[in-house]
Amino acid sequence: MNTMTLYVERNSPIHRLDPLVKLLYVAASILLTYILPEPLYIGGILFVTFLLLIIGKVFRNSLPIVTLSMFLIFSLVIVQGFFHPDNVTELFAIGPLVFYEEGLYVALVLVMRVLVMVGAFSLLILTTATDEMVERLIKKGMSPKIGHVILSVLQLIPQMRATMVKITDAQRSRGVETEGDLLTRVKAFFPLIGPVVLNSLNETKERSIALEMRGFDSPMKKTFLNEAKQYPHNKLIAGLITGIVILGIVWRVFG
Amino acid sequence: MNRFKLKDIAFSYSPDVSIFEGLDLTFDSQTTAIVGQNGAGKTTLVKIMKGLLKPSKGTLSIDGESIADQTAAQLAKRVGLVFQNPNDQIFKTNVLEEVMFGPLNIGFSRFEAEKGAREALKKVGLESKVSDNPYDLSLSERKLIALASILAMDTEMVIFDEPTTGQDFAGKEKIKAIINELKAEGKLILCILHDMDFAADVFERTVVLNQGEVILDGQTRDVFPEKNVLEKAYLEQPYVTQIAQALGYNDSFIHESELVAFLNNKK
Ligand SMILES: Nc1ncnc2c1ncn2[C@@H]1O[C@H](COP(=O)(O)OP(=O)(O)OP(=O)(O)O)[C@@H](O)[C@H]1O
Ligand SMILES: [Mg+2]
Repeated sequence: MNTMTLYVERNSPIHRLDPLVKLLYVAASILLTYILPEPLYIGGILFVTFLLLIIGKVFRNSLPIVTLSMFLIFSLVIVQGFFHPDNVTELFAIGPLVFYEEGLYVALVLVMRVLVMVGAFSLLILTTATDEMVERLIKKGMSPKIGHVILSVLQLIPQMRATMVKITDAQRSRGVETEGDLLTRVKAFFPLIGPVVLNSLNETKERSIALEMRGFDSPMKKTFLNEAKQYPHNKLIAGLITGIVILGIVWRVFG
Repeated sequence: MNRFKLKDIAFSYSPDVSIFEGLDLTFDSQTTAIVGQNGAGKTTLVKIMKGLLKPSKGTLSIDGESIADQTAAQLAKRVGLVFQNPNDQIFKTNVLEEVMFGPLNIGFSRFEAEKGAREALKKVGLESKVSDNPYDLSLSERKLIALASILAMDTEMVIFDEPTTGQDFAGKEKIKAIINELKAEGKLILCILHDMDFAADVFERTVVLNQGEVILDGQTRDVFPEKNVLEKAYLEQPYVTQIAQALGYNDSFIHESELVAFLNNKK
């Protein structure tokens, strides 16, 4: 069975962390961007997140994900820069387009917040084997069914990417031009969507049949493969993250 | 097409594991079987020949003319590849459309494409399924659809990646007949196989690939008696060859009919 995920196997302290702690970090870092919604603080969180990506040896792998979200970010900047209701202070103009300070400020906070989210999620997904994460969650009481749904969704992206390569190959083999200028590539892309979705659905269906056949639905208590894995300093790190969030709240209220 | 030549080919999927290093191979008018254990690099080899994968080093040429700067789509007019897994190849929701897809792309008119598609479907014995959805057919039928959709393109060279897996006796006989017919039409035939009996029975030349290297290459009759080399590549000899050897005959037998005639003569 195809078990490709976005997970990048590396030997790093981040990889050895408990998936739940990483999940906690995702929640905490996003929460902090709301508790302290100023560019300076969010910048700090962003810095830490990217530092962790570097320590986890997955910074390069996170770049495509970050780039992809840049599209979203860019449109945010444009829309907020023009149309934010608080816009009064004119900052600069490109031709007839006027950018306002207030809108850009809001856009900046939004952009940085999105970057924190994307960065933190990348950190979690790139350094955590999905089955390890789901096993941890199930042990903490999450329903195995939900666990499987999470696994399926996380596997869907790389699975679709693999299917896309296969179908592109099949189409090229039969004379569809996919190489060359942008127009050619764009034209080649649309006929792919149908087959890729169909193929992925088919594979997902086969996987759920395989799971059922192997007693996934059985009411018995499940035994886990990676039972023995230990996470040192687990409590300490989790405590630290929680502490920082509480500190952030205190800072916000009394600072 | 008379000759497809690979020279000094190097290829790897990831920087640390190389699949081929300096591979030389030439395919000519003889029908050729490529055998080798799982992961030997057979599929990778044919994807390189088809232009789907680009070698990091070396040259590919057809009749002496380099094809390095041709895209896979351009090559599609000349080289057809039937994929190992039909699910990787089928993407239309109707059998006739599926088979017509290739011909239409390489410049056939709708009329020619449909004619070619119907003929190809007839060759694989699925002419009654023209309006079915390929996903509703069995795996062996889908393999034949995939085969038909390449036949319909009428390319000078046809490459098969394990066409016989999942086929029963009748299916194999069909494929054998198709290969012989293609050869009679003067096409270049290359076929990856796990089925040694089929390789021995149908192909003139056999190439044994092991970990990206050619460890045996010659007339099928000369290749299959090489028990020791085959074992190195974890391959079995064809049953006829095994039986003849077990009976103590040293001649090389690769067709059942040969052995039968030989035994009849001795009586
Ligand atoms: N897309 C890919 N990315 C990375 N490695 C790959 C890829 N495809 C194949 N490989 C690896 O390359 C090697 C050769 O694979 P290939 O598919 O060419 O073997 P094969 O001889 O066709 O095997 P089989 O008989 O199982 O079809 C294998 O070790 C395989 O794991
Ligand atoms: Mg293969």
